[in-house]
Amino acid sequence: MSKEDTTYEVPIGPIHPALKEPFMIKFRLDGETIVDADPHPGMNHRGIEFMGMHRNPLKVIPLSERICGICSIVHQHMYTSAVEHAAGIEPTNRARYIRTIMMELERIHSHVLWAGVAAHEIGFDTHLHFTWKIREKVMDLLEDISGNRVNYSMWTVGGVRRDIPPKMYRRDFSPKMYPKIQNTLEYYEKLYGKLEDIFLGDPSIRLRTRNIGILTKKEALELCGVGPTVRASGVKKDVRIDQPYAAYGDLDLDYVIPSRFGYENTGDVFSKTLVRLKEILQSIDLIRQCVKQMPDEDIDSEPKKAALLNKLKKADGEGIGRIEAPRGEALHYVRLKEGLEELDNWKVRASTYNNLATYAPMFLGEQIADIPIIAACIDPCIGCMDRAEIVEINTGEKNSYSHEDLHKLSVRKTKDMLGDEL
Amino acid sequence: MKEIELPLELEEMKEYLEEELGDGIQEIDTEEIKKGLKNTPMKLIWLKVDRDDFRNAVKSISKLQVPHLSVTSGSDRGDVIELIYHFSVNYGFPGDEISVNLKVHLPKDDPTIPTITDLIPGAITTEREKQEFLGVEVIDIPDSRRLWLDEVFPEDKYPWRWDDKGMEDQSRYVHDKEEAANPPTAANKRRGEDDE
Repeated sequence: MSKEDTTYEVPIGPIHPALKEPFMIKFRLDGETIVDADPHPGMNHRGIEFMGMHRNPLKVIPLSERICGICSIVHQHMYTSAVEHAAGIEPTNRARYIRTIMMELERIHSHVLWAGVAAHEIGFDTHLHFTWKIREKVMDLLEDISGNRVNYSMWTVGGVRRDIPPKMYRRDFSPKMYPKIQNTLEYYEKLYGKLEDIFLGDPSIRLRTRNIGILTKKEALELCGVGPTVRASGVKKDVRIDQPYAAYGDLDLDYVIPSRFGYENTGDVFSKTLVRLKEILQSIDLIRQCVKQMPDEDIDSEPKKAALLNKLKKADGEGIGRIEAPRGEALHYVRLKEGLEELDNWKVRASTYNNLATYAPMFLGEQIADIPIIAACIDPCIGCMDRAEIVEINTGEKNSYSHEDLHKLSVRKTKDMLGDEL
Repeated sequence: MKEIELPLELEEMKEYLEEELGDGIQEIDTEEIKKGLKNTPMKLIWLKVDRDDFRNAVKSISKLQVPHLSVTSGSDRGDVIELIYHFSVNYGFPGDEISVNLKVHLPKDDPTIPTITDLIPGAITTEREKQEFLGVEVIDIPDSRRLWLDEVFPEDKYPWRWDDKGMEDQSRYVHDKEEAANPPTAANKRRGEDDE
């Protein structure tokens, strides 16, 4: 049989209600092997940039944090810093530190959540429940600081809207009470060993994650990939270090790449897991540094919002907010025009946007049962694999693979592999 | 070609671009913003080139390092469509990264730009986006299908345009009856027709 006779097209996606970004990947298969992957995003394109260009700059802040549920802080921060850059407004230093602490807490939250999803995709639901249970602690802390578990509404142009009270981080402030932030950090430090045992030590997880979904360093650079996805291949790209924003310039941190910890920079799913887990430790360290150095001053340099709106209306300029989100570099571009109340231009670029292109080389040559874990390994807003359909090109005959079927395939592969080992 | 040692300082980077592009540069500006208690600088270069020199500019940036293209942002600025390519140079060197924002203006009667996917394969996502959102034609793009917009979206309408190819006549203000009676607001303001 010729090659054409045995290739199949398998679209996977597009909708899953629990996730923010439904999308679809069309796979071309030769038997069990993937020969091409073509991502199709845009299933839920809501035109947020267009909406932003019809509102005043302060009204866009709550809109921007609703771009994403898991990294809502990320978009708030990029948007407000882009507006601050465009209008020449400086946030206070205390606000910079509070922003940094919140962003690092969110990174812990995002990476722990991701670890659970990855475990679920290869059939370890006990680990899913374990990681999502320990994630509650950081969500409680975020709620104590901001009042919300998600969509924190903390940011404003010029600073933040809520202070972190000293009793939450200063031991000398209330000697009887144990400061909540340190308490949470110690909780994660204690549990970290267990996380590493599960995801890096467990032989069955290693079997499913080693040497699959490989992204080479060259591909990572050429495709402009970002975040843990490319750091796992040994690429030194981290905006927190390269071009420090918020308070990162004052802190001591280094690139998290596998070779720093005695592993090879292979760029497979295992390395990506390793990078994310090590970043949890790094975040704990960064929050400790912030708490030590945080200055006492106002949290907002522009407390009068009516005057600020007027100032923004008169401002004329363009600004960039660029940060390292849990999933990688992301960027907002804002232009303000004198006399125009609304934003003149707003461009949002999230991390998954750049990582979309890295899917093709990662899927190449892998099996259908590996689709869930590889799709999950760039930490997109995944799980969107609701329904998959296999279309045989010659006859046009359709076979459907539901998310459950794919999941079962993936679980069966784990069991088969374990059977070989044991 | 003489070997250039990275990381380049902001001024060195500016000189490098001026030397490489010569008269092709229409505008060049540097910016340094100090942040935090240690006053760590954030370095930026705003560069504007003519469309004919655009590929040369991308090539000169590519000579330094495998270029990192964050995204292309674009907007309708009256007579022209402005595209800004957000590059970063010096990544991997703590604190030295420079954002190079490369601007190109395209006339509305001929909104075409050469592709850079042969230099940067990762640019394909953003080039496809610019085609459907601004009506820019990217010449020699390897894949010109739509990326985000639905297939039922009108062919000659572009969401980020403020002229008659824009979305104003399609937007509905259902929450406000008065506004619904006089829909076009934002586009008029941007054209300067609604100043009083």
